[in-house]
Amino acid sequence: MRLAYHRPSLSLLFPIFHANPKRSISNFSVSLLPTSPKPQIPLFLRPPTYSSTISELRKWRKWAKTLASSVGSKFSESDNGPDSTLLLRELNWLVEDAVETHHLLSSHGEDDVEVKLRLKLEDLYNLWKQRIEDRRPFQYIVGCEHWRDLVLSVEDGVLIPRPETELIVDLVGDAIRENEELKEGLWADLGTGSGAIAIGIGRILRSCGRVVATDLSPVAVAVASYNIQRYNLQDKIGMKLGSWFEPLKDVEGELAGLVSNPPYIPSEDISGLQAEVGKHEPILALDGGASGMDDLLHLCRGAASMLKPGGFFAFETNGEKQCRILVDYMQSETKGSFRDLEIVSDLAGKQRFVTGFRSR
Amino acid sequence: MARAMMQSPLPSPSKPLLLPLYFSPTIATTILVSSTPLRLLLSLHCPSKPNSSFCCHRILPALHSASAFSGALSSSLRSTATAFFSTSDNQLNLGDGSETREWPLQDFYSLRRDVETISERLEEIRASAGLKQLEEDLAGLERAVADSSFWDDRVRAQQTLLTLSDVKDRIKLLTEFKTQAEDAETIVKLTEEMDTIDGALLEEATSIVRELGKSLDRFELTQLLSGPYDKEGAVVYITAGAGGTDAQDWADMLLRMYVRWGEKQQYKTRVVEKSLGEEAGIKSATVEIEGQYAYGYLSGEKGTHRIVRQSPFNAKGLRQTSFSGVEVMPLLPEESTGIEIPEEELDISFSRAGGKGGQNVNKVETAVRITHIPTGVTVRCTEERSQLANKIKALSRLKAKLLVIAEEQRASEIKQIRGDAVKAEWGQQIRNYVFHPYKLVKDVRSGFETSDVVSVMDGELDPFIRAYLKYKYTTTSMPAVGLK
Repeated sequence: MRLAYHRPSLSLLFPIFHANPKRSISNFSVSLLPTSPKPQIPLFLRPPTYSSTISELRKWRKWAKTLASSVGSKFSESDNGPDSTLLLRELNWLVEDAVETHHLLSSHGEDDVEVKLRLKLEDLYNLWKQRIEDRRPFQYIVGCEHWRDLVLSVEDGVLIPRPETELIVDLVGDAIRENEELKEGLWADLGTGSGAIAIGIGRILRSCGRVVATDLSPVAVAVASYNIQRYNLQDKIGMKLGSWFEPLKDVEGELAGLVSNPPYIPSEDISGLQAEVGKHEPILALDGGASGMDDLLHLCRGAASMLKPGGFFAFETNGEKQCRILVDYMQSETKGSFRDLEIVSDLAGKQRFVTGFRSR
Repeated sequence: MARAMMQSPLPSPSKPLLLPLYFSPTIATTILVSSTPLRLLLSLHCPSKPNSSFCCHRILPALHSASAFSGALSSSLRSTATAFFSTSDNQLNLGDGSETREWPLQDFYSLRRDVETISERLEEIRASAGLKQLEEDLAGLERAVADSSFWDDRVRAQQTLLTLSDVKDRIKLLTEFKTQAEDAETIVKLTEEMDTIDGALLEEATSIVRELGKSLDRFELTQLLSGPYDKEGAVVYITAGAGGTDAQDWADMLLRMYVRWGEKQQYKTRVVEKSLGEEAGIKSATVEIEGQYAYGYLSGEKGTHRIVRQSPFNAKGLRQTSFSGVEVMPLLPEESTGIEIPEEELDISFSRAGGKGGQNVNKVETAVRITHIPTGVTVRCTEERSQLANKIKALSRLKAKLLVIAEEQRASEIKQIRGDAVKAEWGQQIRNYVFHPYKLVKDVRSGFETSDVVSVMDGELDPFIRAYLKYKYTTTSMPAVGLK
């Protein structure tokens, strides 16, 4: 019984697959060439090989607009879902991504002018139907999410990066501005999903700074790798398949920084979430156990040993209550390990992040 | 309007047309003496686009016969010459083409008056525009550009180049105006001297005068737009006032009015954001109008617009009064703002409507609102696809807004802006639109009014804009101060 094991070094190879530690050793089987799921290409990157006439496209848009307007406040009242204003905004963006010369739609030219599409017209009908009737998330429909100054590929099985999480990159930026040596170390983004935070941090570190991103889901690893390559950061950011700190055993005590947006929703809240989230996004990325804090606490326990002295950490939480529990926990259970613990609010004014430094 | 200012399609002066005509009488009379003037005549004839069939018709036979042997030459020319002069006796020349009309002497006299008037007006404008000063400025600027250290300061160099091109354009324009006025004067003088009335030529003079009049109107207008941001494009932000669906429908009508105006001016007009009302109309909308002087023209639209009409949403059709607020900011390119606002002075918030946010929610609510705490100025940006992108755009709009307010308050620094004065201005009612029981649109400041409500709502705002600019010009005593 052999475990495929690769000693990580500063030149992290990608993708590297590790054994899944959650399985017991007797059941474990090694596959040296695991079939990695192929990441889907976002709509806006597909070649415009299909076409339609302007009048047909306008017909579709009119239908789509009517369908979106008919929703009104139905969704928002039932499960805090989107209202027609948001749906119409999404529709505009769908057109932007799907149609090559979308400005022609608003011009007053002839009806039989041809427009190039990145998908079949009938797929446009199907996709929008999925959006409204199945509540399939908009980002899965267009295959991408705009986040900070990036456009990230996302698909079923990967958590869609949230706008709140954009701030983590700013928090890291503040930390490295005050502590120059952190710009050059090894940073870890645990549970990276689409790779959003890893890429955001990768872009602000200096040339010898490195990032290692981990995730339990093979789909996430594939999608994150795709995004890392698109931003040409494959020499700076390495991917690891595995659970939290498991793939990072040999960089224990060496991390300059540790960031994560772990699942933090209490299990009982999952069923009440808006359909786009609860019925379509991976529960693995959302469910944080009974209190919602299972993974956050696990991360706190491990952070002290993983970070080097002076290292920085930032975790995203479900709000004020979780933030306070985390800070109390760190102050009491891991005495003296951390200094400058802070609770930071997001732009909506909710206490969202806990940050701090490993004491020297 | 003045969008085409710098590339104003002025009617092409028909200079090549006039020269042969001007010289031909004298040449015709001397032609019998020597053959050299004939060659002169040949070389003069080069009308590229003969507007007047009169000219072509008369000259060509002369040339045609010039190619014949000289024996017949003099006699045919003599006959042409006499033909030339014989027609001059005709006061009512019906012209050759079907496009000319009869020109009674009365009309000629009034045309002559119009030409005199416009020439005088032009001289006034050339004087007040400081043509001499402009030419001196041009020389100075060109010297600066030629200097070897010119590109040492890139930012200043760009500025200087912009100013140079601006001055050049102005001088070119003023010179073109003069040329056109001279063309019209020439036609009039010619007609008097020859004692002949050529319908086609006089038509041309009339159209020159008319076009020149419009160009001068536009030029005067841009002279009034001398604020530091007047040349820029504009961002128009419309908000429905209180009053539910009626106010929201009114805001929608205003949106359409500004979009139509932008399109008519041939500006690139884009509705970048629109927030729909529940039943009808809009709660708010943002329009970006790109093009020269868009901000200068629209800056007077800032304030509250009031409508009085029979409510289409009320079963009884009662008379309703609704309000909507319009804000206008210059569309400044990022590099040109140049001012830095410290983070502590900004209150940035993100409109995640209620709920737990974060992983719990997936809604495209990336709208960002930024408030500048010392002055209370607030901007909101919702149309970009990520929170950071909205934040960047909102910051840029905030800076533009602060710069404008600073300029209006004659503050030389953002720090000096008086916050209380900012708030007071917002609620000012500037224009009333009455649809019922009579039809009237009246601007409260300039007093200009019209009963053609339909045209106004279709974007015909130029008379109001002009009236307001003139009003503003006459009521402000100090020239606008730019921000350092």
